[in-house]
Amino acid sequence: MKRLMLSLLLLAVAAPVLFAQQTLNVYTIMPEKYATKVFAAFTADTGIKVNFIRLSSGEALARIVAEKKNPQVDALWGGPADTYEAGILEGVFEQYKPREADAIPAKFRSAQNYWIGIGVIPLCFMSNAKFLKDKGLQPPTSWNDLLHPAYKGALQMADARTSGTATERIYTLVKIFGENEAFAYQKKLHQNIQLYTKSGAGGAMPIATGQAASGVFYIVDALDIQQQGYDVVISYPKEGVTYGVEAAGILKGARNLELAKKLMDWASSKRLGDVMMAEKINYIPTRPDVKVSNPALDMTQVKLIDTDIAWKGKNREAFVERFVNEVIQQ
Amino acid sequence: MTTPALELQHVAKVFRKDRDIVRAVDDVTLVVEKGEFITFLGPSGCGKTTTLRMIAGFELPTEGRILIGGRDMTNIPANKRGIGFVFQNYALFPHMSVFHNVAYGLKSRGEDPGRIREKVGNALELVGLAQAVHRYPNQLSGGEQQRVALARVLALEPSLLLMDEPLSNLDAKLRLHMRTEIRRLQKRLGITCIYVTHDQAEALTMADRIMVMQKGKVEQIGTPQEIYNHPRTLFVADFIGQANAIRLRTSGYADGKAWAKVPGGWQLAARTSGGTILEKGTEAALVIRPERIRLEADAQAAGTLAATVAAATFVGSHVEYELDLGEGNTLKATVPYDPNARLHQEGARVGVRIDQESALFIPIEAKQG
Amino acid sequence: MTAASASRIRRPSLALRDPALFFALVTLWLSLGLFIILPFLRLLQATFIKDGALTLANLVKVWGKAYNRRAFSGSIILATGVSLAGTLLAYLFALAVTRTHWPRWVRWLLSSITILPLISPPFTSSISLTLALGPNGMLLKALGLGELNFYGFWGTWLSETLTYFPVAFMVLAAILSAMDPNLDDAAFSLGASRRRMFWTVTVPLSMPGIANSLLLLFGSSLADFATPLILGGHKFPVLPTQAYLQITGMYDLRGGATLSVLLLLPALLVYGIQRWMIGRKSYVTVTGKSGARSNFATLPRGLEIAMVIVCGLVALFIAYLYFIILWGSAVRVWGVDNSFTMEHYAYVFTHGRKAITDTLKIGITSTVLGSLLAVVLGYLFQRFRFAGRKTMEFVSMLNYALPGTVVGIAYIIAFNEKPLLLTGTITILVAAYIFRYYATGIRSVMASLQQIDPSLEEASMSLGAGRVRTFMEVTVPLIIPAVLAGMRYLFIHSMTAISATIFLVSVRWTLLTTRILESMTELQFSQASAFSIVLIILVFIADIVMGWALRRSSLRFGTTQETSYDNTGA
Repeated sequence: MKRLMLSLLLLAVAAPVLFAQQTLNVYTIMPEKYATKVFAAFTADTGIKVNFIRLSSGEALARIVAEKKNPQVDALWGGPADTYEAGILEGVFEQYKPREADAIPAKFRSAQNYWIGIGVIPLCFMSNAKFLKDKGLQPPTSWNDLLHPAYKGALQMADARTSGTATERIYTLVKIFGENEAFAYQKKLHQNIQLYTKSGAGGAMPIATGQAASGVFYIVDALDIQQQGYDVVISYPKEGVTYGVEAAGILKGARNLELAKKLMDWASSKRLGDVMMAEKINYIPTRPDVKVSNPALDMTQVKLIDTDIAWKGKNREAFVERFVNEVIQQ
Repeated sequence: MTTPALELQHVAKVFRKDRDIVRAVDDVTLVVEKGEFITFLGPSGCGKTTTLRMIAGFELPTEGRILIGGRDMTNIPANKRGIGFVFQNYALFPHMSVFHNVAYGLKSRGEDPGRIREKVGNALELVGLAQAVHRYPNQLSGGEQQRVALARVLALEPSLLLMDEPLSNLDAKLRLHMRTEIRRLQKRLGITCIYVTHDQAEALTMADRIMVMQKGKVEQIGTPQEIYNHPRTLFVADFIGQANAIRLRTSGYADGKAWAKVPGGWQLAARTSGGTILEKGTEAALVIRPERIRLEADAQAAGTLAATVAAATFVGSHVEYELDLGEGNTLKATVPYDPNARLHQEGARVGVRIDQESALFIPIEAKQG
Repeated sequence: MTAASASRIRRPSLALRDPALFFALVTLWLSLGLFIILPFLRLLQATFIKDGALTLANLVKVWGKAYNRRAFSGSIILATGVSLAGTLLAYLFALAVTRTHWPRWVRWLLSSITILPLISPPFTSSISLTLALGPNGMLLKALGLGELNFYGFWGTWLSETLTYFPVAFMVLAAILSAMDPNLDDAAFSLGASRRRMFWTVTVPLSMPGIANSLLLLFGSSLADFATPLILGGHKFPVLPTQAYLQITGMYDLRGGATLSVLLLLPALLVYGIQRWMIGRKSYVTVTGKSGARSNFATLPRGLEIAMVIVCGLVALFIAYLYFIILWGSAVRVWGVDNSFTMEHYAYVFTHGRKAITDTLKIGITSTVLGSLLAVVLGYLFQRFRFAGRKTMEFVSMLNYALPGTVVGIAYIIAFNEKPLLLTGTITILVAAYIFRYYATGIRSVMASLQQIDPSLEEASMSLGAGRVRTFMEVTVPLIIPAVLAGMRYLFIHSMTAISATIFLVSVRWTLLTTRILESMTELQFSQASAFSIVLIILVFIADIVMGWALRRSSLRFGTTQETSYDNTGA
């Protein structure tokens, strides 16, 4: 018994083995199935291996902040830029200007070079085609269409406390209606809500399978469902939508700083956009010189509302508070 | 003088129960010689088992010292005392065969397998269970389990054998048989033995000496005859065998005898307990064993007390009478059954003859010790 | 030779008197201090200390929000509901398996089906429940029912009850089969009717198990965040979900920590009640004296009819839920292209291989070390009186009472600095599992010891065996069923739990559960199902191995444990 107890104690305090290999360690907010393909291409191009684990944006940020004194990874990949802005305030990111950063429009990268944009994703509506047909409805083309009584208890969209998709939705509404009107609208919309989901894409599968009728998503998640073969309809509101900028950045105290810089250099090149197009990863590339082959990503017919990321970061918490106190709690 | 097998010196066990302090065992002192068979006798909760468990080392005394074979064992853990303990419920290991149960202690001692097999065989032979060696406890009868428990302990040849009401779960016949068998084994092996029981018959038939306990305290220590014939306290008198106690005030004392006026009008003289001097007017109980009473058909016979038969119960070898002396005093009498004589019927007036040599005055205060 | 009768004995220190116990206590306090007290203090620090000063500001701020107060009452209501319903359901199942004369295969099937919810991560069954009973759900359509208000209390309650009742079932089945059937005979001979016998003998003697399972279920429900997150919706907030959302969504570690501190109050209350209930009665029914055993008495007829209906329906429903997952794992695209494919399994065994091996390594290590620790602790708590025993018992169960999310964050805060640099290692994952999920082991060991007469251990001591030998050769073999129940629980949870470890997985050590949740959020339902099925099969195989080991080890016991555990084995 003594010996067993002793080994138990030894295991308890055993010093962890240090990272020794020349691999890059990354937290990715980008879905795993995309990250696998993107990093495979990066490894093929540079010979650098990538260890990664997928986390939601909130979890990723919480961990990075908690691990501040002892970073477990070198870089954060994907996820909305306002997550990065929040991280900057916590002092967890390293400044680095990638080689081809200037080829990316300034609105798609950090002014202080903490992060660069790797893709743009506007919001859209996604609806179950059968539901629309059964109710004799057209796909929604205005935010006010979602208030139609036919949708009562049939909408699923993300909860602002956990999902970047949801905060993006609020930014759009505030930009269109003004802040107070935006929340008044959401209170009305609440009557039709079946469920607020934890993740931005959480409502997509229920809509695909007919549990819910419609919802607001980032285009990347909506297209993914459609590509899997589900009978869904994607539409855009005429009032317009804001878009999220997917970013990437290096963590302060990264153990493989040089490798992380190479990843940022690669991400700022035209190569990343080409890989995403080839692999059907539905982000709109941040480099204007990438040729967009997928017609679904053709944004010429969509009214895109520009938003300042610093404004998003600054207002996020207040908007979420209002969302919890006024919309959810009513 | 040889070293005693066991010495208890002012041993006490104090529990804290809620807010009260309970003295479960209070100032017990006892010297046990080698080869002696001692029983601890008393009603349940009197502290006899706790005392035994302290000797075994299952409980640690709060006060006092325990010496085994002259060595101070007060703080030595149970497994280092070299004591055998037989439990009321036998405590056989249900997951081990008879062999492994008996071999358990020998293995703990690290004896070699050959010796173990031999000793287990001998021990089982001793209790007459050699054939059961591969069976499991749940395949044995109660009596057999008891023998295995005994063999398990005897295999270790302990210097001291402690037994906690080992026969209380057996049927009456088997109990009688096991009494003699245990006593036979103990004598043959010359083991010092302490035997806890609440059954006075067991104590009287088996023990060399009896320690009677009540409420944590020792009432009396002595041979069965001493305890029976010369009880020191009313409690002992009442607990060992049966006793009639008539409350009286003594009217005189001389030479180890006191006298008092008994109901019926005359003076009765009897020994005082332990030869205590009882001053005139002391409140005392006159203790009379029921079997030391004879009845005569003539209620007026000389030297008898007149009484009315309140109940008569025939129990085979003898007849038990309940007698009314008047003034609220009753007596029990046990009279050998004589098939040629008639029973005294209920309501009959009889003369009660008391064997004055065996009657005893015990002062009432003495009960408090 | 004479000593004053009042002289108190001065005892040598514990280290000299009983070195084994002393060593064990020191080691245990060190482990508990490191993996429970330290993270807990760091958590409290985050809650109550701001800028180096003690403050209630966090608490006031959190409590000031009506939504959080609703979450508090929601947690209590949910935990109470789950604990009552789960215990009742578990008791019916346990009675059916241990006390009826139903055909053997029926009882085997019943006990096997209870294992399914246990061995799958909670959110998996939540998803299949949504598909079955949610809006437009398959079962609702099949039964011709309209809309059902599923999200909120009822959905969460149903899912948690189904998910957690098997734990209670294991506890109750163990205690029901350990009872002495002679008591039934005794009650009958005293003229009791079946019903009276059931209520006056069987139920009172099950009380330690019932109290135990009430507490276990209350605790599980209180700490679960995955189920309410998926099914609670916004209408029914509970504290763990709020804490989780606060931390992951609002990046508010302090707020999350504070919300979780609120969870401690109900957890401690129930813990106190349970101790009080058990402390009042002694239930020594397994003694060294083996009498002849007869069969258990027949149950009251009304009860048996209710059992047939309830157990039958629940078992069918659970089977149906798992069929959905099995089906989902083998179709090309869920709900669209229902053609058979093995491509999702191919994916699991290529891209998911690391997660599989990591999970197994972590699960096995946690189970072995954790059950060892549980046996030692349960034995100490039940059989020894030493200074600080109550405190130690309380501390050892603390992580179990805390929501996993918070344990995860507390671990990250506590073990991210030298010299306790453990983040990213297997140690932190194993420790999180052990100290969180060994509670069942400790409790079942204690419950089992409670039914074993201490004279068996005393007999061993008086036969010259030391504490350690007594423990290993007498105590352990007799509590093997309880140990295995604890091991089972530990292994299953080490394989399936996620709430704490989702924060602790790293690029070097990942888990199947995180991969499943990942697949879920990435809308790969088929992949998630395939991962789940693989995980369920792994756990199931391990469970069979443990059942086999149990039967082997208890063969020597004679009949008691063997037959009883044969039934709950599977």
